[in-house]
Amino acid sequence: MIWRIGSVLVRAFVTLLMVAALNFVLFRVIPGDPAAMLLGGARSSATAEQIDAQRERWGLDRPLIPDQVLQYLSATAQGDLGYSFKFRGRRVSDLIIERLPATLLLVGLAQGVAIFCGVTLGLYAGWRRGGAIDHVTTGTSLALYSTPPFWLGMLLVVVFSTMLGWLPGYGSYSPGLVNADLLDWFGDRTGHLALPVLAIALGLIGQYVVVARAAMSDVVTEDYMVTARAKGLTSGQMLRRHAFRNALLPVVTLVTLNLGYVVAGAITVESVFAWPGIGSLTVEALNARDYPVLQGIFLLLGASIVAANLLADVAYGLLDPRVR
Amino acid sequence: MRENVLVELKESQSPQHVRVNAIKSFLAQFLRNNGARLGLLTLAFFVVLAAVPGVLVGPLQTAASATGDFLTAPSREHLLGTDDVGRDVINLVVHGSRISLTIALVSTIISLLVGTTVGLTAGYFGRWVDIWLMRLTDFFFVIPSFVLALVITPVVLQHMGRGGTIIGLRPSLMVIIIVIGLTSWAFVARIVRSQTLSLRERQFVERAKVVGTGNLKIMVSHLLPNLVPQIAANGAIVVAGAIYTETALSFLGLGDPLQPSWGTLLSLAQRAGAASSGAWWYLGAPGLCVLIVSLAFVMIGNALDDTFNPRRRAIP
Repeated sequence: MIWRIGSVLVRAFVTLLMVAALNFVLFRVIPGDPAAMLLGGARSSATAEQIDAQRERWGLDRPLIPDQVLQYLSATAQGDLGYSFKFRGRRVSDLIIERLPATLLLVGLAQGVAIFCGVTLGLYAGWRRGGAIDHVTTGTSLALYSTPPFWLGMLLVVVFSTMLGWLPGYGSYSPGLVNADLLDWFGDRTGHLALPVLAIALGLIGQYVVVARAAMSDVVTEDYMVTARAKGLTSGQMLRRHAFRNALLPVVTLVTLNLGYVVAGAITVESVFAWPGIGSLTVEALNARDYPVLQGIFLLLGASIVAANLLADVAYGLLDPRVR
Repeated sequence: MRENVLVELKESQSPQHVRVNAIKSFLAQFLRNNGARLGLLTLAFFVVLAAVPGVLVGPLQTAASATGDFLTAPSREHLLGTDDVGRDVINLVVHGSRISLTIALVSTIISLLVGTTVGLTAGYFGRWVDIWLMRLTDFFFVIPSFVLALVITPVVLQHMGRGGTIIGLRPSLMVIIIVIGLTSWAFVARIVRSQTLSLRERQFVERAKVVGTGNLKIMVSHLLPNLVPQIAANGAIVVAGAIYTETALSFLGLGDPLQPSWGTLLSLAQRAGAASSGAWWYLGAPGLCVLIVSLAFVMIGNALDDTFNPRRRAIP
């Protein structure tokens, strides 16, 4: 067990290291002087001492390998990701931390909704395979699975915001409601969350239904299900005691593995709704070719995906005694 | 069906004949699948659109050659309405099909080539070659193609500049093709490797080694043909993934407005505020195309999988 955890940790670390290395290489490939690039964002507001300190910190006056690589890695490990070009003089890490909560809220809610609806529907469809619900859910989820979530978001805006006028399709709150009471404030926030959460969740539901249904379909053909039936268990008992637990195993792994991907997928959805999170920051950075911010986001996405992988490994080990 | 093939196998000893018969029986199986027929039909339709867009809807309209009013709803004149500068949406979508399909197919070919080479090499040679190649594969497997492309594409674009064309495509599209191709192969490599591991223990490989066949020759002419089913079935899934990645990248503004793909059209629609002005035709058309084409590829992939894998055929 210890050996297994060790090897999993080493692989996660190597992946993170490769993400950082790719960042380093890409930065040096961009035409222009790296010193000017790295410090460009800070130049207007930073003092000469600060620039010198930064130059020292990044080791820009020393050879590329190994000095600059090592400096870069140690600075990255300490959370120093350089300065933004676009938001003059602001630290990349501060920008990311500022935007992160909005994204986490959006992604967390969407995941919750998707897990609840998708897994339930998928398990039920797999249990009653060939039934009416199975046909409808499977067809719909395949379509949802193939739909880009941001396009789904645009359609939701057209229908629920522009045509019906039920929900706001832009931003995360109404600027006019700054002094409203708590209930109004909460309602306004929830209204703004509804459509982007739905856009992300619908795409995920498609995916979770497909996986949960496949897992359940596999389980119902197992020999132990026949044994359970022969023992005289009712369908409900078979579902609760045998089918449910076994079918959940691949589902939990997928859902955990998916955590990082969901953040990446949220980027496009956020830009549809002008949701002030990491996704909008990415689009702003892309449009302004703000490389330090872009690389900070890449590092964040890489780290969250690696973390999700670790979590999936741990979850699998906890759920499946055979792995222990 | 199967008995027929076996009988014919005995009658005709020529290997060509056997191969032709195997392909025939495969096609018969494959085409009996409803998903496969529907998928192929859909794809054929879009390939025609992509092949001769000029004949069908005339040259790609620009802001200068636009024929309609701004953001008009579908009418007899413009069946899918117009965009924010008065261009006909059908014209844009049909021309977009060429760009989107080309990017998806060429990047898939690159991805399959790299994935097969890495997987085959790792599986065949084993030992340290396997360990190092799979470590590399793990990295590309863990980090999604979209995330990698998101950070690599702008840097390469900055490096290359945006002028001129390469084989009829703007350089920025070329960059997207190559980046998607080089970041989406890990999944194929893993499948090819695991298949190679079981194949290389088979007798025909031993025999080839004993008669002194070189490694490269064994890999290309003995192992590769046996891998084709897996590669083909997963290739269809890779195309669907490539379409998604391309659409998302272009939507974020990394596409080329002079050669708009469906993703670029969605990005233009978003910037024009099509959603908040209720111009459902402008954002609906390209999105629906993306959805239909990826569904077609997923259906073809599933049908290929069902045909090649008899164990799955039993499950409805």
